[in-house]
Amino acid sequence: MKNRICCPKILDESTFENLINQLDKIGVDFGMPVTIDLSKAQFIDPYGILGLLEIGRYLSERDLSLSLILPHSEEVIKYMERLDFFKIASELFSLDLDDAWPQEPFFRSPHSDVLLETRKIEGTDDIHNLVEDVRQRAETILTSHLKYDANAIDSFVVALSEVCQNIPEHSEDIGYVGIQKYFYGKKLGKNIVKIAVMDLGVGIRESLTPKYAPSVKNWSDLEAINLALFKGASRFDDPGRGQGLTQVRKLVERWKGKLMIRSGTARSGIIPPWEISRPKRSSLKDFPGTQISIILPEKFS
Amino acid sequence: MKNEIKKYRIVDLMEENLTNGSKNIVTRETGRIIREAIEVKIQKEQEEMIIILDFSGIGIIDFSCADEVAAKFIARLNLKEYGDKYLLFSGLTPSQEENITAALEKKKLSLLSLKEDGGWKLMGILNPYLKDTLDLVMERKSLTARELADLTGVEINSASTKLLNLNKVRLAIRMREALPNGGRQFVYRSLISSS
Repeated sequence: MKNRICCPKILDESTFENLINQLDKIGVDFGMPVTIDLSKAQFIDPYGILGLLEIGRYLSERDLSLSLILPHSEEVIKYMERLDFFKIASELFSLDLDDAWPQEPFFRSPHSDVLLETRKIEGTDDIHNLVEDVRQRAETILTSHLKYDANAIDSFVVALSEVCQNIPEHSEDIGYVGIQKYFYGKKLGKNIVKIAVMDLGVGIRESLTPKYAPSVKNWSDLEAINLALFKGASRFDDPGRGQGLTQVRKLVERWKGKLMIRSGTARSGIIPPWEISRPKRSSLKDFPGTQISIILPEKFS
Repeated sequence: MKNEIKKYRIVDLMEENLTNGSKNIVTRETGRIIREAIEVKIQKEQEEMIIILDFSGIGIIDFSCADEVAAKFIARLNLKEYGDKYLLFSGLTPSQEENITAALEKKKLSLLSLKEDGGWKLMGILNPYLKDTLDLVMERKSLTARELADLTGVEINSASTKLLNLNKVRLAIRMREALPNGGRQFVYRSLISSS
């Protein structure tokens, strides 16, 4: 039997667990090639794109050879191409793009809603580069669609810098980031921007364990995420450390956005009034590293 | 006698010390590099000098950098690790101000920022009784313990302690002056009047 992970129709933060839960069955036929089947995918957002890449890395690190079945939807393929998925995925997956690749040539639109294509984050210079690029492109999306003024754009970029620098600072791994603008018509009647940041590193609990595990009752992934997000916990004793995520949370709350952090076996975050979702969950399938989703809406007047 | 003043342009320090050409002070590593560059320079300056860190032309400063360049630096300045020096910030955007303030508040520190119109702004956290004293020093340009005691109706010992504590957080310059009767007194001067 071939190892196969099937992508749901919609792949975003709300359905990512579906993919992770399928990793269990891979273990049964350990050693056999794994196929990630995207044929039914009709919508994938940056969180989904990054999730696929991280699952690819997760399996590659276990010496499993990987192949990818492309979506039937040409629109989804085009979107994945716009987000530079295939460029990065070619290092992880065996890609045969000829069969399902759209017959008609297509080009990246200069008016694309992609604010930042998928970027690999390895060190400080990567963060400098993405900050420069997002500030340069901010005019198109953040000013015109999200109605952010110069100060709000700076706050947005600071938040992005903070969530991304956790990768070289704490994860002991590399990671990815991607950003896209959408229109949330039914839910909000406003434009929103989605930021996804992921790594496969040590995760928040392991990072905080030496300092907090001895004193926190029922030490767990959920406790660790909540300490980092709501209390500014850091593995360092310097009180100036650990402020990044806390300040990002405050910004997201102020702008009535959504922030969700998944790490290990738990997820926690803040849910705005316009979203129906559980803010905290534990006992999830264990998955390494930290996966962050931020949704910021157009300015509320 | 006025204190000597030097302005360090952060843009110049970034050009000298970073290879990526960035005008944004982001990531803790970048903040550490810039702070260490400032530390090397300030330690070579003469005592009682006022250093202005000018952020004109800088894009964003994130929280981690603000902690390195502002909070960590000021904590050490207050301990006189760089000698008897004073510090002002200038050229800050509202976003930079917000992030630096957050970093200072976390460590219960404060600093003065110069405004474009020649005014000043206190950033961070300062005990209210010291804030009142700071306002008087800034308004009158200089103040002795006797003058503060007369102005506020407190004992001279209490006035002296307030001014000394303001000097300890490097928000007022303490200078010894000779009196006509041969005695000596301390005068506390505003950083702005000296700059």
